[in-house]
Amino acid sequence: MSPQIALRDPVFRAYLVIVPLALASGGAALGFLKLILKKEIASMWKTYRSWLVIAVIGFTVVFLGRVATIVGITLLAIFAFKEFARASGLYRDWWMTGAVYLGIVAVGVASLLSDQHGLEPGTDCCGCLAAVPVFAIALILLIPILRNRVQGELQRMSLAIVGFIYIGWMFGHLGFLANTINAYGFLCYVIFATELSDVAAFTFGKIFGRHALRSRISPNKTWEGAIGALAVSMVLPWLLRFSFPYFGGRQLILTGLIVGIGGQLGDLSVSVIKRDIGTKDMAATIPGHGGILDRIDSLIYVAPLFLHMAGYYYPLR
Amino acid sequence: MKRWQYDPASDLDRTLVERLRRFPRQPDMLVYGLRSLGALVIRAWLRTYHRFEIVGHENLRTNRSLVIVANHCSHLDALCLLSALPLRKLHRAFPAAASDYFFRTIPRLWIAAVIVNALPFARQMRARQSLLVCEQLLGSPGTILIIFPEGTRSPTGQIQEFKSGIGALVAGRDVAVIPCFIDGSFRAWPKGQRLPRPAKVRLIVGEPHTFRTRSADKIEISSIAMELRDAVNDLNPKNGSR
Repeated sequence: MSPQIALRDPVFRAYLVIVPLALASGGAALGFLKLILKKEIASMWKTYRSWLVIAVIGFTVVFLGRVATIVGITLLAIFAFKEFARASGLYRDWWMTGAVYLGIVAVGVASLLSDQHGLEPGTDCCGCLAAVPVFAIALILLIPILRNRVQGELQRMSLAIVGFIYIGWMFGHLGFLANTINAYGFLCYVIFATELSDVAAFTFGKIFGRHALRSRISPNKTWEGAIGALAVSMVLPWLLRFSFPYFGGRQLILTGLIVGIGGQLGDLSVSVIKRDIGTKDMAATIPGHGGILDRIDSLIYVAPLFLHMAGYYYPLR
Repeated sequence: MKRWQYDPASDLDRTLVERLRRFPRQPDMLVYGLRSLGALVIRAWLRTYHRFEIVGHENLRTNRSLVIVANHCSHLDALCLLSALPLRKLHRAFPAAASDYFFRTIPRLWIAAVIVNALPFARQMRARQSLLVCEQLLGSPGTILIIFPEGTRSPTGQIQEFKSGIGALVAGRDVAVIPCFIDGSFRAWPKGQRLPRPAKVRLIVGEPHTFRTRSADKIEISSIAMELRDAVNDLNPKNGSR
């Protein structure tokens, strides 16, 4: 990945057309709601404007190349964990949060380095990336011992480990996609499809939603929205087949299932945390979306599952 | 199993700008890091460009809560006073800054909240409320308040009258008040000039005063303000007392 390759890459260029088209049709739908149906769409408009900014930043980072992509994803993970720490109260313990930041940076560094010390193609998909959580969790568990403290340490260790596993480790797999042979296809597809399935769940839920999906966890999510999102996610791999031309039917179905179900699981798993803490959003960083973590939560399951699925069937490099 | 007690940050639902504007601020690793880094850069800048020098540094070596009062004729003043403090005390040191000036535009807000750790002080309407915030801060040990009781930068470089609010803050309170005189900052960067000139700046730290036994009535607080002004003015090397 590099700016020169990005400009010549047909997949990247195709997404440079598809994403603006999707955004434009979303904008047209909002305009239709506002002007023809006279609906109140101020909050959706705010969300939509933030999508435009996110799309521009995302394309710029992927365009700049492998290092920029991995650094960008690591920064996202760092700030998402910061929101988690502020919401859970862990942010008062600088030792614990420091250990998790170190772990997240280590995930990023492992992704960056695994390009140079290339593994045998097809043997293992993640190399030294797989060793990072061992050391990160060992460090987190060591901190009470180093500080000679007991009171409430189990809670802090648990929060730190959950934060690291969800945000640093599972979400961090996204960065590793930049090392694969089909980096543009994988990255663009995974991010675009996951966010689109998020929007689909919201839209179907708004239109048809009757039955709560998980009433205690997230009152606004409905079965209708979830099924609609799954349906969109199952069709999308066939529509965007050029992103991974060597995928067969089975891989395309698996891709659809991972994005359609995994995206909503990620969303719900972060909702569990939010509901237990008693907050609505993790932060107010992105206007109309909530925090960074509220935006990236659907990628928590999708990124690692997709990487392992792709690595199971084909060499990643 | 009992429920875990979470303790979320109180400003969770606020945007970044609102969080900077709020006071007191929540501890933030990134902000503390940037502030420490900024302090190092500012110290290096003052030492080299302004040949900054501190006289009477030993008067600041205490772990008690402090109120530092000084003359004010330049933006450099608060930076000079902050540079006289050890780095680890930086995050508990709050220069009172005019909320109508420093907390308005976003670049100024960013500098005031992140680099300077300023306390937004309402000069006109709610000065009493701002004084109350100062009193609460002084209640916890190790707080350092930096106050310019003239209320604004002097346009001539001469020390002006002190507002009586400083008297109300320290009267009857067991807190060390340290008068300081900043010499040369008017030549270096007066009000209305865009960029600082490489003039020498000197900070003279006086001996701590305390007004624990004084009552907080109207006459007393204005006489405390006058005493403090004299204490600051006496440190001026041009007055010949030093």
